[in-house]
Amino acid sequence: MRAWLWDRPPHTPVLFKISDLLAGPIFAFPEVPWVDHTFEKMGTLNMNLEIHTNEKEVTEKEVTLHLLPGEQLLCEASTVLKYVQEDSCQRGIYGKLVCTDFKIAFLGDDDSALDNDETQFKNKVIGENDITLHCVDQIYGVFDEKKKTLFGQLKKYPEKLIIHCKDLRVFHFCLRYTKEEEVKRIVSGIIHHTQAPKLLKRLFLFSYAAAAQNHAATDPRNHTVMFDTLKDWCWELERTKGSVKYKAVSVNEGYKVCERLPAYFVVPTPLPEEDLSRFQGHGIPLWCWSCHNGCALLKMSALPKKEQDDGLSQMQKSFLDGIYKTIHRPPYEIVKTEDLSSNFLSLQDIQTAYSKFKQLFLIDNSTEFWDTDIKWFSLLESSSWLDIIRRCLKKAIEITECLEAQNVNVLLLEENASDLCCLVSSLVQVMMDPHCRTRIGFQSLVQKEWIMGGHSFLDRCNHLRQSDKEEVPVFLLFLDCVWQLVHQHPPAFDFTETYLTVLSDSLYIPIFSTFFFNSPHQKDNVGRESQDTQSKPLNLLTVWDWSVQFEPKAQMLLKNPLYVEKPKLDKGQRKGMRFKGPQGRGGRFSSWFSLFPASWTRTALSSGTAWPEHQRQLSLPLTQSKSSPKRGFFREETDHLIKNLLGKRISKLINSSDELHDNLREFYDSWHSKPTDYHGLLLPHIEGPEIKVWAQRYLRWIPEAQILGGGRAATVSKLLEMMEEVERLQEKIDARPHGQGALLAEAPLLLRGSARLSALFPFALLQRHPSKPVLPTSGWKALGDEEDLAKREDEFVDLGDV
Amino acid sequence: MWWGGRGQSFNIAPQKEEPEMGHSGPKCVQRTGMLEPRSQQLDGHVASGCLPGEQILAWAPGVRKGLEPELPGTLICTNLRVTFQPCGWQRSQETPLSSEYDFALVNIGRLEAVSGLSRVQLLRPGSPLKFIPEEILIHGRDFRLLRVAFEAGGLEPQAFQVTMAIVQARAQNSQVQQYAGIPLSKAGQNTGSRKPPVPLLETSEDWEAERKKQGARGWRVSTINERFDIATSLPRYFWVPKRTLDSEVRRAFGHFHQGRGPRLSWHHPGGSDLLRCGGFYTASDPNKEDIRAVESMLQAGHSDVVLVDTVDELPSLADVQLAHLRLRALCLPDSPAAEEKWLSALEGTRWLDYVRSCLRKASDISVLVTSRVRSVVLQERGDRDFNGLLSSLVQLLSVPEARTLLGFQSLVQREWVAAGHPFLTRLGVTGASEEAPVFLLFLDCVWQLLQQFPAEFEFSEFFLLALHDSARVPDTLTFLRDTPWERGKQGGQFNSYTQIYNPGYCQPPAGNSVNSQLSVWDWDLRYNSEQILQFHNPGYDPEHCPDSWLPRQQPSFMVPGPPSSVWLFSRGALTPLNQLCPWRDNPSLLAVSSRWLPRAAISSESLADQEWGLPSHWGACPLPPGLLLPGYLGPQIRLWRRCYLRGRPEVQKGLSAPTISGLQDELSHLQELLRKWTPRISPEDHSKKRDPNTILSQSR
Repeated sequence: MRAWLWDRPPHTPVLFKISDLLAGPIFAFPEVPWVDHTFEKMGTLNMNLEIHTNEKEVTEKEVTLHLLPGEQLLCEASTVLKYVQEDSCQRGIYGKLVCTDFKIAFLGDDDSALDNDETQFKNKVIGENDITLHCVDQIYGVFDEKKKTLFGQLKKYPEKLIIHCKDLRVFHFCLRYTKEEEVKRIVSGIIHHTQAPKLLKRLFLFSYAAAAQNHAATDPRNHTVMFDTLKDWCWELERTKGSVKYKAVSVNEGYKVCERLPAYFVVPTPLPEEDLSRFQGHGIPLWCWSCHNGCALLKMSALPKKEQDDGLSQMQKSFLDGIYKTIHRPPYEIVKTEDLSSNFLSLQDIQTAYSKFKQLFLIDNSTEFWDTDIKWFSLLESSSWLDIIRRCLKKAIEITECLEAQNVNVLLLEENASDLCCLVSSLVQVMMDPHCRTRIGFQSLVQKEWIMGGHSFLDRCNHLRQSDKEEVPVFLLFLDCVWQLVHQHPPAFDFTETYLTVLSDSLYIPIFSTFFFNSPHQKDNVGRESQDTQSKPLNLLTVWDWSVQFEPKAQMLLKNPLYVEKPKLDKGQRKGMRFKGPQGRGGRFSSWFSLFPASWTRTALSSGTAWPEHQRQLSLPLTQSKSSPKRGFFREETDHLIKNLLGKRISKLINSSDELHDNLREFYDSWHSKPTDYHGLLLPHIEGPEIKVWAQRYLRWIPEAQILGGGRAATVSKLLEMMEEVERLQEKIDARPHGQGALLAEAPLLLRGSARLSALFPFALLQRHPSKPVLPTSGWKALGDEEDLAKREDEFVDLGDV
Repeated sequence: MWWGGRGQSFNIAPQKEEPEMGHSGPKCVQRTGMLEPRSQQLDGHVASGCLPGEQILAWAPGVRKGLEPELPGTLICTNLRVTFQPCGWQRSQETPLSSEYDFALVNIGRLEAVSGLSRVQLLRPGSPLKFIPEEILIHGRDFRLLRVAFEAGGLEPQAFQVTMAIVQARAQNSQVQQYAGIPLSKAGQNTGSRKPPVPLLETSEDWEAERKKQGARGWRVSTINERFDIATSLPRYFWVPKRTLDSEVRRAFGHFHQGRGPRLSWHHPGGSDLLRCGGFYTASDPNKEDIRAVESMLQAGHSDVVLVDTVDELPSLADVQLAHLRLRALCLPDSPAAEEKWLSALEGTRWLDYVRSCLRKASDISVLVTSRVRSVVLQERGDRDFNGLLSSLVQLLSVPEARTLLGFQSLVQREWVAAGHPFLTRLGVTGASEEAPVFLLFLDCVWQLLQQFPAEFEFSEFFLLALHDSARVPDTLTFLRDTPWERGKQGGQFNSYTQIYNPGYCQPPAGNSVNSQLSVWDWDLRYNSEQILQFHNPGYDPEHCPDSWLPRQQPSFMVPGPPSSVWLFSRGALTPLNQLCPWRDNPSLLAVSSRWLPRAAISSESLADQEWGLPSHWGACPLPPGLLLPGYLGPQIRLWRRCYLRGRPEVQKGLSAPTISGLQDELSHLQELLRKWTPRISPEDHSKKRDPNTILSQSR
C-alpha cells in the first residue's frame, strides 16, 4: 500500500528542543516536552519525532554555502537561531547566517530536508533561506522586546534581527547565542550591504557576468524579441501591419540623439529626421503598437517646461504644432491625446498605496496577523491598492475603446514617457493583442515597452539605495493588473499566475540584466566601459532565460495547460492545437447550453469558446461593430430603464457622463455581454467585487493562509489529469488508422501523484507544512506521563510502516 | 372594461388524477368567454405548465431583459407564482416547475415598475400605479432579478393588468399563514429505476440503516417520540445510547428546553460521538434519577465529554437576519455602494464574518472529534438552528461520504429537516419576526468549503445554488414546515393515529401516500436532466474518496483519563467542569444562561495563538485522512458571487470550473468516438471516466 508515502528522506531533520536552549523572557515555552511533528509528505501521516539535545552533533555538521560564480563571502555568524513561524508554536533551527555580496543566506542544519524531491519547484539561484541584497526591504532589530528599524551605524546590537523582504517574506533571526563579535560583524555587514547607497558598477551583476563568461549565451529556444536591433522593430511593425504609416529609425544609434531613448524606435513615416534630435527626443510621437484597424498607440514624452524663456516656449509650441499637423493629416486617423501626468494616478499615489498594502502581508507573528484579520476588507480598501489597479485597468479600457471602436489614434503623454506610459500601453496591448498573452509575446512586450521604453528599474526598485522617494512599484502594479486579467480569463493566457509571481521575484535577482538598468543606454554604456577594461564583452543574462532559475520540470508550472493556441488559418492543419474540438461541436453546444439558466450559460459558453472553433474573428471587423444590433442596444429610445439602471453604477465608474463616456460604458457592457473570444479583445471586469488580491504572491509566505489540499492547485491538478487523458485518447484516435499503439502522453508536471497540495502551490511547498489546526498540546499540566505519549507516537509510526 | 379589470382569470381544471399532467396542454384551459383577440397567444403551451389548482390571474407579452439573450415571451401571474414563459418554450412534462423562469410569490422581495425615467416601487395593492409600466423589475429574495419589458413600450393595457395582479397576488399571499404546498403527484415517474433515494428519515428503518452505516454500535433508535409527545419539533425517531431505556429518555428529555434532549448526530469511527441537545430547562427541578439519566445520556459511555456552547462566538439570529438584509441591499444592481467602497461595504454587512466564525468553530470541533477522538455535545438553547449548522459542517469536514451528492442531501435531511429546523419561520415565509436565514448561512459555508477544496466534493456550486433557490419554492414540504410533526401531518403519514398506538408498528403508513410524497430532493421537478447533470462537480477526485482510506481501520487513540472528566469548550479554550448538569449542588454557571461564561479578556481571539487548555493525555493525534481544515482568514472567505450577484448587470465569470466540465465533455466525446471505432477498449478507460450519460442514467 502506497509504499512511497513512508519513504524517508536520506537525512532526517534535526530539530531542537527550544525550551532547553532558551530561557529568556520572550520565549514562554511550556514545560511539557516539546514535540515537533513535521509532515514529511503532504497528506500523509508520517510523523517524525526528533528530540535532540546533543548540541555537538549540530556544530559538527558541515553545511556548505553555495556560491555563485563571482560571489564572495563577506561575513558570517554561527549559532544563529532562525525562527520558523508555525502558528502558535514557535520553533527554531540553528545555523549559520552568512552575508555575501549577492545575498544573505541562512544555512540551516535541516537544509537536507529540502533536498528531497518534494521541492521540485526550486529556484536554482535563490534558495529557500536566501535573500538577495536587493530583495531586503526593511531590517528591524529587537532590543529588549522593542522593535526598531535598523540603519546606519549601530551603537548597540540587537538580540533579534527581523528582515522584511520585498517579496514579502519575513525572517526572524535570534542572535542571542551568537558570539558578540560575530553579531557585530554580521549585523553591520547586512545593514551596510543592503542599505548603503551603491554604485552601479558595484552591482553583483557585473562580477557575476565577469565570472560566468562561459555560461551558454541564450537559450536558442527562447524567442523573446529583445528590440535591440532595427530588425526586431521592423518585425514588430510587420506583425501588427503598422509598416504602412510608421517606420523604424536608427537615428539614435550609439545614443547620439538621446540617452533616454532606445537605439532604434518607430515614428510616423513623414516625420523629418531632424525633428527627432531637436529636443532630445522630447515631443516626438513614438509608436507603441498598431491595432488591426490601422489605429496606433503612440507615446510622447512632454517637452521640458521652461516658463521664463518665451522664445523657447514659442519654439516648442510651433514644433509641436508641426508634429501634430503631421500626425493629424491623412492617412493618419484623428489623434486623441491622453495626458497621463494629469487626471490620472501619480507615482506618489502608487507608492503610498503599496507601502500600506504590503504591510498587510508583512506579518511578524501570527498574533499580529489575527489582529488585522478581523478588519481585513476595510484595511485592504484603505490601502487603495486595489482601487489603483482598477483605475489602471479602466484607463486601459478607455484607450482600448478609442482604438477599437472609435478608430482614433491615441497618444499617451507623460513627462518622461517611462512610467505610466509603459504601464498603460502594455496593458492595452495585453488586452488587445492576443500575441501578448503568449509567454514569448508577453516577454517581448515587457522588453519593448519597459526595457526599451526606458522604465528606470534601477530607481523604481531602488536597487542602488540612492533615493527612497524614487522607489515606486510601477512594474509590480503592471504585473498585478495582468494578474487580474489572468485570474478573470485563465484560458486566454499562455502563462500562469505562477509565472507572474516568479517574474516579480526576479526583479530583485541581480544576475539578470533585465531589471537592473535605467535605460538601454545605461546598459550598453556600462557594458562598453567594462569592455574596455576587460577586453571581453560582458555576457549579461536576461531574465527571460528561465532555465537559469528553474529546471525544465519546474518551468512547466509557468505554462498554462488550459491555454489553446490560436487556430491556424489553414483548417486542415490542426497539429498545432493542443486539443481539437470534434466536428459539429458548435451545434451540440448551443443546444445544450440553451437549457441552462442564462447565468449558467454565460460561464459555460465562455468555456465553450475555449475550443478552437471561435465564433468571432481575431478582432471585430469595423463594419460589423457599427451594424451589430448590440451596439445600438442602449440607443433605443424606449430603453430608459437600462440607462436608469446602469446610470448610477457606471457614473460611479466613470466620473463624467459626456458622450465619450457613454461610448465607453456601451463598449464595456456590450463586450461583457458577449461570449469571450480568448483570441480576440479581452476586457477585464472592473467592478468592486472583481478586483482581487493576488493571493499567490502576497499570501504565500503566511502559513496561516494555506489550505491543505485545497485551492486552485486542486482544480488545476484535476485539469491536468483530464488534459492528459484527452491527449491520450486523441492520440489513440489519431493512431487508429495506422494501427499503431497509442503513445502514452508524458505525465504533466509535478502535480501528479501528490495527494494533497496546498492552496498556495507551488510556493507553499517551500514552507514547512503547517501542522496547525491540530490543537496545540501545551499549557496544560500533564496528567498522563510522558512515556505514555512517546509510546503512542511509536505506535503510530509503526502503523505507518505496515 | 379592460382598463380596470385585473385580467382574465383562467380556471385550470385540477388534474390531480391525470397521470400525464401538463402534457395535454390545450385541454386544461377553460376559456372563460370574452377573450380579446390577442389572448389567442395564450394558448396551450402557456397554460400547459399550470399546476393543479393554479389560476392564471393576468398575463402580458413582454421581453425578458438583462440576461443574454433577450427573450420574447409572456409574463404570467398566477396565484402561486410569477412566471415568464418564453416564446416557443415548452414546459417539459417532467419538470413542471422551472428554476429559471419561475418566481414564487413568497420569493418576490421588491417590485418596481418603470416608465420613462420614473421608477416606482410597488408595495401594497392600495398604492395606485399612475402609469402603464414599460418595464417591470422583480427582485427575488434569492438574489435573482427578473426584468421584463413590455411590448409596444408599455402602451399595452395588459402590462398594467399583470403588474397590478402581481402586486395583489403577493399581498394576498403574504397574508396566508400556512402554505398549502403544491400538491404534486408524480405517479408517472418510474420510481423503481431511480438511484438510491435520499432517506427522508421518516421511518425507523431509515434511522436504523443510517445508524448501521455510521457503525454506531453503542446506539439504538428510540421510538419514544413516535407520536410526537416528547416534542413536536423532534423527529419521530432518533438515536440514544443503547443502554438507556426509553423511560430514562423520557425522564431526561423533560429537563431540556422544548424537550430536546441529547441525541446522537454522528458517530466517528474512531469511537467518539457528536451529540446535540437543547439547553437545560432551568426551571425544572430534577430528582436524582433524572440527573443520572441526563448525565448518562450526555456522556453516552464516554469518559471525557466536551460540552460546546453553540451560540458562543456565533452570531445571534437577529445578527444573521440583519447581515442577510444588508447583503441583499449591497448586491442589488443599483446598490448604493461605490466601487471603491465595495470592500468595506461588504465587510460592513458582516455576513462574511459570520460565515467565517461558523467555519472556525466547525473546524475546531471537527479536530476535537476526529483527531482528538473526544465526544462533543453541541448545546444550543433551541437546538434547532446553529446546532444543525455546526453539526452538518463538522460532518462535511470530517466525513468524505458526506461530501457526496447523496451524502450531503441525507445530511441536510437529517440535521436540518428531520431535526426540526424551523424553515418556514427562518426563511420568512410566514412573515413572522424570527426570520433568520441560518440555512442560507450554512449553504454559504458549504460554498466556501467547495471553493477551498474543489476536488473534495461530489456536488457542484450549481447544486448549492439549486438548494439555495429551492428554499423558497413552494413545491414540496421539505422546506415549508417548521417541525417534522407539521410536515408529517400535511404529508398524511399518520392519518390514523390508532396505528401508532401499536407498539410494534414500524411500517410506513399507507405506502402509496408516502411514495407520492415529494421532497426537495426530487430535483427533476424543477431541473431538467442536463441541469441535474451539472450538479456533479467534474473536478471531484474520487481518489480522495472514503474507500481507499477507510477510517474504520484507524485504531482508537482513546486513553482512559480520569473518570468522567467534563470539559467546556468556549471561546476557543477548554475549561474543566465539575459537573455536567447545572442543577446538582448549587446553581452553577451553566444554569445562568446559555451563554455560560463571561467573555474572557483575551487580546487575540485567535485559536491559533491560544492555549486550548487541552489535557495532555489527549495526545497529539495525527489529522485523520479525509479531514478538511478550512481556511477562515479574511482573504480566504469569499463572496458567493454566482449566487448573490446574479441580479447585477455584469455577468459573473466562473473560475476554471466550467473549463473542467468542458474537458469532461471532450473526454466523453472522444471515448464515444473510440468506442465506435474500436470494438474493444481497454477496461480501465471505461471505469475511470465518468461519462455524462452514465451519470445521467444513474441520477434518473
